[in-house]
Amino acid sequence: MKSTRFSVSSRLVGDIAVIYPSGYLNNLAGKSLIEECGLHTANGIKKLVLNLRDTGFINSIGISMLLNIIEDLKKVDGRLCFTEMSRTHTDTFDMLGLTPHIVVFTTEDEALQFLKETPGPEPKDRDEN
Amino acid sequence: MNAELKKTLYNISALADLGHAITSEQDFHKQIQSVLYVVTGTFLCGKGAIFYSEDRESRLTVLSQKGFDSVVVSGIDLDALKSAQKNLPYFINNDAVLTRAGAAVAVPLWVRDGFVGAVILGEKFTSAPYTEDDFELLKAIGSQLAVALSNHELFLRLNDQLEENRRLYDEMRRIYHDTLQAFAAAIDAKDVYTKNHSHRVAKYSAAIARELGWSDHDTEGIYVAGYLHDIGKIVISNEILHKTSPFTPEEIEQVRKHSLHSYKIISNIRFPWKDVDNIIRHHHEKLDGSGYPDSLGRDDISEGVKILSLADAFDAMTSKRAYREKMDLRTALYEMKSCLDTHFDNKIMLAFCRVLEKEIRGELPDPDILPHIDKDFDLSVISGLLEGLIKELSE
Repeated sequence: MKSTRFSVSSRLVGDIAVIYPSGYLNNLAGKSLIEECGLHTANGIKKLVLNLRDTGFINSIGISMLLNIIEDLKKVDGRLCFTEMSRTHTDTFDMLGLTPHIVVFTTEDEALQFLKETPGPEPKDRDEN
Repeated sequence: MNAELKKTLYNISALADLGHAITSEQDFHKQIQSVLYVVTGTFLCGKGAIFYSEDRESRLTVLSQKGFDSVVVSGIDLDALKSAQKNLPYFINNDAVLTRAGAAVAVPLWVRDGFVGAVILGEKFTSAPYTEDDFELLKAIGSQLAVALSNHELFLRLNDQLEENRRLYDEMRRIYHDTLQAFAAAIDAKDVYTKNHSHRVAKYSAAIARELGWSDHDTEGIYVAGYLHDIGKIVISNEILHKTSPFTPEEIEQVRKHSLHSYKIISNIRFPWKDVDNIIRHHHEKLDGSGYPDSLGRDDISEGVKILSLADAFDAMTSKRAYREKMDLRTALYEMKSCLDTHFDNKIMLAFCRVLEKEIRGELPDPDILPHIDKDFDLSVISGLLEGLIKELSE
């Protein structure tokens, strides 16, 4: 199995966190992506953009981790958008039947615009976090 | 490429991922966690768990799980799992607890007739049903996982057995050494003047052997030889051993037989160390051929014999006897020096001097020789003497 060093960075745009996974999402190193998303939701951020421009290969382990993030966000009534996916990514998501269940945008700006127009959580929810 | 072919390739790739996860160099729990991610990623399940049957019978341990409430997971019906067909996935319909928790499919994992664990998966994220093809793939994954769990169990058992064997070996070794010490004490107890002689000769010999770079195993062998070298004295009468006046020629003959008696006593023991019996037999041989019992020449005397004979002579010199006082360290060293090349080997003497020098400098954590030596000696004089000897012997 090919592998490149996996890393994650993120930035906040208002109440939206944009996450940038980098490298192959194909082993347990990808847990850092779940953790990064978890850190933001723990801080009350419930809108996430997953920018996959620097993410190469995604195997079954990576798919499972992405499902993990989606499920975790569901639990807090959050929203997730995927963006800058490669042809290989979209083919994989289509083949698995995942595409109808996720929100995908071509560019990060489009994803941000969509989430900005999406109502955020009630203030009391934030207080609880 | 059509969708079906793509899906097949993805499944083949998932099997490769599984193989990699199982054979990777990660620790076992990380391997299993990787396997769980492979399985849940392959079937798009948000929930999944892998169980291990530690004793193959009565209970299941969660090795890795995601999405499930751990309390629910622990309530799994083991009998239902074990009564299902080996390694074949089945839908969980009759277990209210598991279905309420979101579990949909179970795979009981078996290797031959041994139940080794189970995989439980939740509904698919897409809400699509599990297909026959999914079950075929899950069966293949389950079989591989079962072997991995079984191998892990075997590894743990072997490890336990190894630990137990190591513990037993250490215990036996301790008993063995205790027995040797008891023997040595019995020998030394025959004569109040030789009390602890065997123990000291064993320590001195081992210290010299270590200095010469002997392996731990061989050093232990000469240590044992040191303990047992005088065991033949058991058959020599106390009257002779305790005598304060000079021995008669017949008595000398009797005393000299002790190394042969020692050899005869211990030659039937199969030691794990080579040459212990011969080292003991020849510990009174001398380089010039004037020793006993076989009057061996320098070329026929092994290094082990040379070490033991020097250690034995040194302890005899620096211990009190019925017929003389103990020698001080300086006198003993001069005496040994005068016997170099006739009784003692230069190389062994050099190693012995280096051990003494290290002990005086405090470079050895557990001094073997100095504790028995008369404390009145002048350290600077002894150090100077040793320095000179070492220089001379090194040339």
